[in-house]
Amino acid sequence: MSSDFYNTSILPFKGIIIKLCRAYTNSQEDFEDYYQEVCLQIWRSKENFREESEWSTWVYRISLNVCLTLLKKKKNNNQHFVSDALPAEETEDNFAFSDESLNLLYDAIRKLSEIDRAVIMLYLEQKSHQEIADIIGTNSNNIGVRVQRIKMRLKKILDGKIN
Amino acid sequence: MEKSIENIWKEGFLKSDALVAPKINSLYTRKSIHVIDKFKRMFRINLIAIVAFSFIFLIISYFVGIPLMGAIFFVTLMVLVVINKRLLNGLEKIDKGVNSYEYLKAFNNWIKKQVAVNKRISTFLYPVIFMSLIIGFWFKDAEGIPLGERLVGKILLTFPDTPLILGIPLAGVVIVVLILGILAYFGSRIYQWDVNLIYGRVFKKLDELLADLESLRS
Repeated sequence: MSSDFYNTSILPFKGIIIKLCRAYTNSQEDFEDYYQEVCLQIWRSKENFREESEWSTWVYRISLNVCLTLLKKKKNNNQHFVSDALPAEETEDNFAFSDESLNLLYDAIRKLSEIDRAVIMLYLEQKSHQEIADIIGTNSNNIGVRVQRIKMRLKKILDGKIN
Repeated sequence: MEKSIENIWKEGFLKSDALVAPKINSLYTRKSIHVIDKFKRMFRINLIAIVAFSFIFLIISYFVGIPLMGAIFFVTLMVLVVINKRLLNGLEKIDKGVNSYEYLKAFNNWIKKQVAVNKRISTFLYPVIFMSLIIGFWFKDAEGIPLGERLVGKILLTFPDTPLILGIPLAGVVIVVLILGILAYFGSRIYQWDVNLIYGRVFKKLDELLADLESLRS
């Protein structure tokens, strides 16, 4: 990958990639693997970008699609498809943010299904229901209901943990 | 007052450590860990290995006097290669930039298609390979006479009443047909079992993801 492409086309959107990769991984090692893989796939797929959408939306799609179909290393060195999150206490220390509330929120998000993680991440990134539906390929009418359900579930998980 | 998740998110990412990108090392030469790329690599390696093996086997079979077996083997494996090369081309066309539903659907359809095609091939592949062994050795030259005919001659000398079908002992025909049936029956099942063992979790997860997305589409 040319460093120019990375600096101009990926780095400005690193926030999107980092946030998504964090939601689908439980360790720093997996997170770094996912981040690098997403960058690699963006670079490899760049010829397919047809400017029918914003570059940022396209980066979201690639990042999400790659995260949804990555095989993640398990601690016993076997490999398996992205699966349920580890409990918070099993999360590696260097993987955590300095903001404890954000750590708790991420741990709660990791307890959701893969699709619910995608929906709530996009919602938190202030994407409209239509944009969320366009990125994940669903009906925008159902997104609002799903977001409310996910928020209720997150509140239940976080209940009493955050002041 | 409890903070909303929107505020936790917003405020959390204002901290300087929240969006630190990992160091990128020789990304261009990095081997992809993505499942589609792994499939591609596995397919390419398998196809190259099959082509190399079938050529080597064809040459060896000629020198050891069973060219018919080598030729049937070669043609069968080449058909397998052509069909799987076409399947591989389909995998190359999967676009990761489309929406998640279309992407997962395309990947799932490709997997289902390749399993269905290779299951069907396995039903025929093992019996054809077995038959190539039988035919190859049957027509192998044994001092001017095909080995099969020589064998039948010896059997008839010992058991003159042996029933024959087109010059082949009936018992031999029955055994071969039985083995062909068993191979055809188990061929596709062995393939399915093998695939499930390696990619069972991928199939299950794809089904779950698609079911979740379909519930959002309805």
